[in-house]
Amino acid sequence: MGALAAAIAVGMGALGAGLGNGMIVSRTVEGIARQPELRGQLQTTMFIGVGLVEAVPIIGVVIAFIALFQ
Amino acid sequence: MSNYERMSIRQRKWMLYLMALFVLGAGFTPYSTIFYGLVLGSAVSFYNLYLLQKKIEEFTGAVVAETKTRGIGTMSRFAAAAFAIIIAIRFEAQINMIAVVIGLMTAYIVIVIDFILFRTKDYA
Repeated sequence: MGALAAAIAVGMGALGAGLGNGMIVSRTVEGIARQPELRGQLQTTMFIGVGLVEAVPIIGVVIAFIALFQ
Repeated sequence: MSNYERMSIRQRKWMLYLMALFVLGAGFTPYSTIFYGLVLGSAVSFYNLYLLQKKIEEFTGAVVAETKTRGIGTMSRFAAAAFAIIIAIRFEAQINMIAVVIGLMTAYIVIVIDFILFRTKDYA
């Protein structure tokens, strides 16, 4: 049951991160391709977005490993 | 120096200040297991922060130059977090697990506080 819990925790976390990151990156690429002079501003927004999106799946990885090994 | 570079340097600087504080806590307080956990977690968190900054700089540079690039390093950051947790599980008596998790979140706390404090200057 521990392995199943770990798989669900990390799998759902990675799914959410993948969707979130995909949306952020696609919009940033669109924006930079349209207006390359806005690169600095857009990459800062992308940085904060990706950082916040990835906090939750990292907690998911932690929970998965705790479920797996303890 | 661009706003992004200034922000990156500022965030890394604050992470190093926090790590120095944790090392002092590990050396001079009786709560050494908690501070060992915080040091381990914040070290991995610092690596994650550095990797995120570097990969995003590379990625946006590649978009502007219209060249190909490889991902933004999400799996490397997950693997680093897993590595910290495996070390904490292996040395359970010396390292507090909750402290490692709090340490792993240090970079995100720094990013959010930096954003709140400097949004009118650097993020406009």
